[in-house]
Amino acid sequence: MDSRALSERTWLVALARVGFVGLLLLLWWIASLSVSRNLIPAPSETWAAAQRLFAEGRLQSALLESLTIYGSGYGLAILVAIPLGLLMGAVRLLGRVLDIFVYALSATPRVAFIPLIIVLLGLGFEAKTFIVFLGAVMPIIINTYAGVLQADEELVEMARSTGAGRFRIFARIVLPGAMPYVIVGLRLGATIGLINTVVAELYTAVAGLGGLLSIYGNTFRMAEYFVVVLTLAAIGVVVTELLRLVESRLARWKKDL
Amino acid sequence: MAQGATQGREPGTPRLSLQGVTKRFTRPGGEQSVALNNISLACEDRTFVAIVGPSGCGKTTLLRVANGLIRPEEGQVRLGGKAPRPGPEAGFVFQSFRLIPWLTVRRNIEFALEELPLSAAERKERALHYLDLVGLARVEGSYPAQLSGGMRQRVALARALAVEPMILLMDEPFASLDAQTRELMQMELMAIWQRNRALVLFVTHSVDEALVLADRVVLMGGGQVLDDIEVPLPRPRFGEEVRASAAFLELRAYLWGRIRDLVLSDPASDFYGRDPAAAQKEASA
Ligand SMILES: Nc1ncnc2c1ncn2[C@@H]1O[C@H](COP(=O)(O)OP(=O)(O)OP(=O)(O)O)[C@@H](O)[C@H]1O
Ligand SMILES: [Mg+2]
Repeated sequence: MDSRALSERTWLVALARVGFVGLLLLLWWIASLSVSRNLIPAPSETWAAAQRLFAEGRLQSALLESLTIYGSGYGLAILVAIPLGLLMGAVRLLGRVLDIFVYALSATPRVAFIPLIIVLLGLGFEAKTFIVFLGAVMPIIINTYAGVLQADEELVEMARSTGAGRFRIFARIVLPGAMPYVIVGLRLGATIGLINTVVAELYTAVAGLGGLLSIYGNTFRMAEYFVVVLTLAAIGVVVTELLRLVESRLARWKKDL
Repeated sequence: MAQGATQGREPGTPRLSLQGVTKRFTRPGGEQSVALNNISLACEDRTFVAIVGPSGCGKTTLLRVANGLIRPEEGQVRLGGKAPRPGPEAGFVFQSFRLIPWLTVRRNIEFALEELPLSAAERKERALHYLDLVGLARVEGSYPAQLSGGMRQRVALARALAVEPMILLMDEPFASLDAQTRELMQMELMAIWQRNRALVLFVTHSVDEALVLADRVVLMGGGQVLDDIEVPLPRPRFGEEVRASAAFLELRAYLWGRIRDLVLSDPASDFYGRDPAAAQKEASA
């Protein structure tokens, strides 16, 4: 495909997305009219609530609080998970020993650990960050590990035939080959990390966006509640789109001329 | 590439020798298959050896054993008097092209040159030179996914040649080229070989190709050498006169017949017991 057709396609997608948002707003508006007024606020009310929250500064401070927790937990997860996943894939014995524990831990609902975490780390920043970390770390480890394991044996043999040593083969063949898997792990980790940010804020000291959710939810201030939900959705969109950008940068070689 | 060819060896000893080499593989079911069965083969420097034989007879395995990519269970392999170790001493053209998808064509070739004492600039220059040789200089910046199958095969060829090895191991390197490109590449390979005179082991399914290129044709079957024929034809052999000569036709008919019999009569063959003549009669009836 030539690049003009490609960019035309991009425009079409952008336009269709805007159209879809319009459709959602319409449906939302219809729903707000038909369902009892207290449960679903109209888009206009929600907009007003957003401006109010913004003017009071509550939205920003909650957002900052949540993003700090999310960023720390997710960042820590990346720093731990990628090297660990690579190591497990590179040192087969280590991988064989550890992988069953990683799978077991990732299958256990992380909420189950929250009481224990509270006992150990309290209700503050450390506990919250750790809950986010625990959610995000597993998919990144598992996918990084899988990416290394599925390394193209034929390419590895080709590299070996040129005389490349183990380190060069790992750095030049195995690692780049694992990148698509790592990105998938990062994307899953980002989503679970965001969920766990809210979970942490609901279950430990009530704070941040999760805290606002619980306050407005319990007091039936649905317009404000919707503002928080939409903010969380926006965070999710921004993070996954950023990762998609990274991915398409890394995978330029897959594209046609 | 041939300087130092006899270095460290008694003159007269072959560049590559296999003695009583056996290599088995365990299939996923646990069943053993013998890819090389007590095979012995010696190849002198500066010779062009074609290897022909039915599918699954161990040709690829022979090449992999020859440069030390895999070790046989039994027997001795010597490359330049030593146990072979993978490296720039041998250039390998794989049956599947094995280009690195995230590197450009030029960088794919440079990758194979990294074990040589060359500067980055020299690597680039050499990569471009060999790309030009296979007619692909204009796509040096493309990624493998953007090339046709035949182009990829030529990149793989350029990568092996660029190393300027003392032994070239080529596993059906021209199989996915059209007839014209194929002949051009054969001529190019001949020209390079006549300049540098590496030992070439050239696996092919085409008897014609074997006879046009090789000094020696080794016929394999069931992991063994069944026949080893000197090709007495004068070079160059690209003209019609050579191909129409009695000696060429006789050798061609002989090898064809042998391979055909192997394919049909070897119990290990995929087509064991089939009689194509009968099938044809049936079809026309
Ligand atoms: N890695 C492997 N694992 C298991 N069996 C193998 C392996 N490599 C080769 N074999 C077996 O060894 C035998 C010889 O294989 P080889 O690839 O050397 O054949 P070949 O002569 O190159 O065939 P073709 O002409 O089809 O490429 C076959 O029976 C094959 O099934
Ligand atoms: Mg083969």
